[in-house]
Amino acid sequence: MNKKTTKLEAKELNAYYGDFHALKSINIAMEEKNVTAFIGPSGCGKSTFLRTFNRMNDYIDGFRTEGDILLDGRDIYAKDVRVDELRKEVGMVFQKPNPFPKSIFENVVYGLKIQGIKNKSVLEEAAEKSLRRSALWEEVKDKLNQSALALSGGQQQRLCIARALAISPSVLLMDEPASALDPLSTAKIEELIYELKSEYTIVIVTHNMQQAGRVSDHTAFFYMGELVEFSKTKTMFTSPQDNRTQNYITGRFG
Amino acid sequence: MTNSEKNRLKDKAFQVFGVFCTFIGLVILAVFLFDIAIEGFSRIDWDFLTSLPSRRASRAGILTAWAGTLWILVLTAIIAFPLGVGAGIYLEEYSRKNRWTNFLEINIANLAGVPSIIYGLLGLEVFVRQMRLGGSLLAGALTLSLLILPIIIVTTREAIKAVPRSVRDGSFALGASKWQTVWNQVLPASFGGILTGIILSLSRAVGEAAPLIVIGALAYVPFTPATPLDEFTVLPIQIFNWTSRPQEAFLTNAAGAIIVLLAITFLLNGIAVYLRNRQQKKIKW
Amino acid sequence: MPHIDVELEKLKTKLLEMWDLVEYQLQSGHDAMLQADQELAKQIIKRDRKVNQFDVKIDRMCENFFALFTPVAVDLRMVLAVLKINANLERIGDTAEGIARFVKKLDAPVSEPLLEMTKVVPMYEEAIAMFADCRVAFKTNDPVLAKTLIKRDRALDKIYRKSDTIVTKFMADNPEKISEALAVLSIIKKVERVGDQVTNIAEEIIFYREAKVVKHKQDKKKKKD
Repeated sequence: MNKKTTKLEAKELNAYYGDFHALKSINIAMEEKNVTAFIGPSGCGKSTFLRTFNRMNDYIDGFRTEGDILLDGRDIYAKDVRVDELRKEVGMVFQKPNPFPKSIFENVVYGLKIQGIKNKSVLEEAAEKSLRRSALWEEVKDKLNQSALALSGGQQQRLCIARALAISPSVLLMDEPASALDPLSTAKIEELIYELKSEYTIVIVTHNMQQAGRVSDHTAFFYMGELVEFSKTKTMFTSPQDNRTQNYITGRFG
Repeated sequence: MTNSEKNRLKDKAFQVFGVFCTFIGLVILAVFLFDIAIEGFSRIDWDFLTSLPSRRASRAGILTAWAGTLWILVLTAIIAFPLGVGAGIYLEEYSRKNRWTNFLEINIANLAGVPSIIYGLLGLEVFVRQMRLGGSLLAGALTLSLLILPIIIVTTREAIKAVPRSVRDGSFALGASKWQTVWNQVLPASFGGILTGIILSLSRAVGEAAPLIVIGALAYVPFTPATPLDEFTVLPIQIFNWTSRPQEAFLTNAAGAIIVLLAITFLLNGIAVYLRNRQQKKIKW
Repeated sequence: MPHIDVELEKLKTKLLEMWDLVEYQLQSGHDAMLQADQELAKQIIKRDRKVNQFDVKIDRMCENFFALFTPVAVDLRMVLAVLKINANLERIGDTAEGIARFVKKLDAPVSEPLLEMTKVVPMYEEAIAMFADCRVAFKTNDPVLAKTLIKRDRALDKIYRKSDTIVTKFMADNPEKISEALAVLSIIKKVERVGDQVTNIAEEIIFYREAKVVKHKQDKKKKKD
C-alpha cells in the first residue's frame, strides 16, 4: 500500500448555532483517497460537520466555529481563504438531487462557466469527461440539450455528481446522496463512490448503516455533537469500542 | 328533525349561499360588459381609433388617449421594473433579518395600501414642481411607478422565495458568488413569476385616472406625444371627460373607449396568466 | 465489477490458496508415509501453523464481509459455505499433521504386504484425488461434480470398515510389527476422516449453488431401512 497522507483534518473544532453548541471539540484526520462515512442519529451534528468543510454554513445566521479545519494542512477558515476557491477544491452533493432547471450540458459546465471559461470545446470536453466519470455519459450523450429535470432521480443525482466533478475538486462531500433514491439507483451511486475513491477523498453522511459498511473505509460515529468513535469501518462494524456506537449500529438505541 | 338532518340542511343552505356569492360578481360584470358592448361596439371603427379629440362627438377619436396610455405603459414599465426587482432581490437574498429590514418591509406593505390620489399629490410636488417636469408623460410615468412599486417588490419576493433553497445551495457549492447565483439561477427560475407580477401591476396602472389628473394630465390634447416630456392624456381621463358631457353621443364615445381600455387590460392579464402557466409547466421542482 | 463481487472474489481466492496448501500437506503426508521420511513429516507438522493462520484470516474476512455487506441470497450462502469449508479445510490440515505424527513413529518404510492387504495407498490416493476434484467443483461452481464426490466417499468407507480385521490378522501373524500395523491403522482412520470432510465440503458447495440441504440425507434413509 502506498503511504497515506492526511487530506482533511479538524482540530478542537467547536461550532455553534447561536447559543446551541452543535459540535463539541471534534478532532479527526481523514486520509487522502479514502471514503469516510459519518453516521449518527438525526441532529447529532454530522451534516453540520460535513458542511464546515466547504463552509456552506457561512450563510446561516448565527453560525460560528472555533478551532481549525485543515485542508491539505491549510486552515480553511483563515482570513485569506476565498470561499469560491475553497469550493473549487471541495465539491458537494446534496441529499435531494438538485439539478438546475437548465439543460444537462448547462448543468455540468455551470461551475466552469462561473469561473469565466467560455471556450466551447473546453466546456464540451469537460462535460463529457465528468459525465463519463459519473457513469452517466452513455445514458445522456444524445440528449445533452434536454432539460435536466426530465431525468430520473438517480440520473439527476449522478448529474449532480458530474457537475461537482467538472470543476475538478480533490474532495467530494456527500450529504446522504442516496436517501431520496430507489434501491437500484442507490446501488449505482454506491458503485460510483467506490470507483471515485481512487481519485478523490470522499466524505459521506449517511443514515444507512449498510451503506456506510459497503462504501466506506473509515467510519465516524457522532452523537449529540460529539465524535464518539472514529475507526476503520471493519473495526467499527465488528468490534466497536464505545457502547453508544454498539447500540447505534445494532439498532438498540435509547 | 334529527341532528344529522339539520346539519345536512345547513350544509345545503351554505352551498346555495356560496353559489349566490360567487355569481353575483360574475353577473354584474356580465351585465356591465353587455351594456357597454351594446352601446360602444358600433362606435368603434378605424376613424374612432385614429382621430384626434373633437368638440363634435361624431368626429372625436381616441388616438391621443390610447397613444398616451401606451407611452405611460412603456415608460412606467421601464422605470418600475429595475427598481422593484432590485429592491425585491435585495430584501430576499441579501438583507439579513434585523430591525432595519423589518422596518423596510412594514413600510413597503404600507405603501401598497396608500390611496392612489396621494401618490398623485406626491408626484405633483416632487416631479411636476421640484423636478420641473410639468404635466409630462415622464412625470406621469414616475408617479405611476411609485404607485406600483410596492406590488412589484412583493411579487418579486414571492417569486424568488418559490425558488428552492437547494438550487442556491447547488450553485454556492460550485463556487458561485451570491450575485452569480442570483443572476444565473434565481432570476431565470423566478422570471416568469416576476413578469406576471409586473404585468398585473401595469394593468392596474393603465386604469388609474386620479393621480394623473392631479399631476395635470390634460383632457384635451390635440397631438400625439412624441417625447417623454410632452403633455399627454390617457384613456381613463378621456372616458371621464366624455362621461361628464351632457350630450348622448359622447356617452357612446365613452363606451367605445371603455371597450378599448378593457381590451388592453384583458390582454395584459391574459399574458400574465399565460406566462404563469408556462412557468408552472416548465419547472417542476 | 460491483464492489461486493470484488470482495467475494478475494474471499474465494484466499480460500483456494488455503486449499492448495492443504492439498500439498496431504500429498506430503502420502510421500512421507511411503518413504518413512522423518524430515518431510517434521516439515508437515511445522507447516500446519500456516494452515491455521489461513483459517483465522478467512474467518476474519467472513466476519468483515457479514458486517460490511450484509449479504443476502446466493452471496449469503456463498459466505456461509466459505466459512464452513474453511473449518473443514483446517480439519483436513490437522489430519495431514496427524498422519505426519504417525509417520514419525515409523522406523522404516511400511512393509509391502501390509500396504498391499490394507489397500491404504490406493485409499490415500483416492482421498487426495477427491480433495482435488472438490477444489475444482468449488472453483467452477459445479454441484454435479460435488455430488459424485459424496458417492466416491463410500469406497473409502468400505476399505476403512474392512481394515480392522485385516490389521488384527496381520498383527497376529507378525507380532514384531504391531506398532507399525497400529500406525497404518491410524492413518487409514485419518484418511477416512479426510473422505468425510471432503463430503462435507461437497455438501456445502451444493448448498451454496442450489440452496439445497443434502447433508444428513443418509441418516433418514437408514432409519427407513
